[in-house]
Amino acid sequence: MEKENLPLYKLFLIFTKIGAILLGGGYVILPIMTSEFVDKRKLVSHDEVVDYFALAQSLPGIIAANMSMFIGYKLRGKFGALIAMLGVTFVPFWCIVLLASAIGSLTENNIVQGALWGVGGAVIALIVLTVREMWQKSHRDLFFYIIFVLTLITLLVVKLSPIQTILIFSVIGIVYKRIAEGKK
Amino acid sequence: MIYLHLFLEFFKIGLFSFGGGYATIPFLYHISQVYNWYSLEELTQMVAVASITPGPVGINVATYAGLKSAGIFGSALATIAEMLPSMFLVIIVSKLLKKFSDNFYVKSLIQTLKPISCGLLTSVSIGLLKPEIHDLKALILIGALLIFSWKSKRDPLFYILIAAVVGVVLVFLNK
Repeated sequence: MEKENLPLYKLFLIFTKIGAILLGGGYVILPIMTSEFVDKRKLVSHDEVVDYFALAQSLPGIIAANMSMFIGYKLRGKFGALIAMLGVTFVPFWCIVLLASAIGSLTENNIVQGALWGVGGAVIALIVLTVREMWQKSHRDLFFYIIFVLTLITLLVVKLSPIQTILIFSVIGIVYKRIAEGKK
Repeated sequence: MIYLHLFLEFFKIGLFSFGGGYATIPFLYHISQVYNWYSLEELTQMVAVASITPGPVGINVATYAGLKSAGIFGSALATIAEMLPSMFLVIIVSKLLKKFSDNFYVKSLIQTLKPISCGLLTSVSIGLLKPEIHDLKALILIGALLIFSWKSKRDPLFYILIAAVVGVVLVFLNK
């Protein structure tokens, strides 16, 4: 492997390109990373990319960013992770800044208002579909249903913040699993 | 002071959100209620813009929310704050790799976070649907999009484009 030879600026450029072509969310991360680092540059093995993808999903945070940082770290250590993070967000950052400043004056327009009205509905549908997808991917036992219902009650009725809710139920979940494990 | 709050809020999002870009929305929703940085309608608009521009949705929406809250410096701060926790975790996990995913506590935590994330997103869906309840056209549109793809979720761009076209067509029909 020639990983020692990959200069940081080049790493930055590769991740800048990946950030610019990432469109539509999680669906394209794995194929893009595979074609760039496994097929084209042969810097990372295919098994490693798949491992990173699985790990990136099990860590908190944004999956695409996590995966970029895993590869950056593997290639150039801590600085590599930092450069990967800055690179992958570079183009998206400026797109948002430019579009956000343009959208203020555009929203006066009837047609843009109509489009935004529709898109607002699509966003709600997308969130519901994300729940559906998470639901399908999870192993649903009694424990899953109980935690799900309790979380919902805590958020809607007791109105705790998301973070308080996560902390409380994570502790409950781990303690429960510990006890269940002990009984075996 | 706003910079400190902004940094802490987005650092927390980076540390506590599991399950991809849309999983950050419950936190952004909470922020819109606690601080006066942006309104609920602006949040929907931000998610929409974040979905159609390149880059991960979760990061784009942080950039946008930071921009709304405290200008361009705020947007850089929010973006970096959101990724910082995972950067530390990535470095730690890279060193431990296999040991990490076999650890009992890590496994239990991941199993517990799944139902919690589902609960978080469900509560946000309910919160976002509430103001739409009087808008029959919006309810029909959302219902149609859901029925259309209940079995498998497609690329987010697909929904956004279709819905935008429907919105524009309705503007012309109402004229």
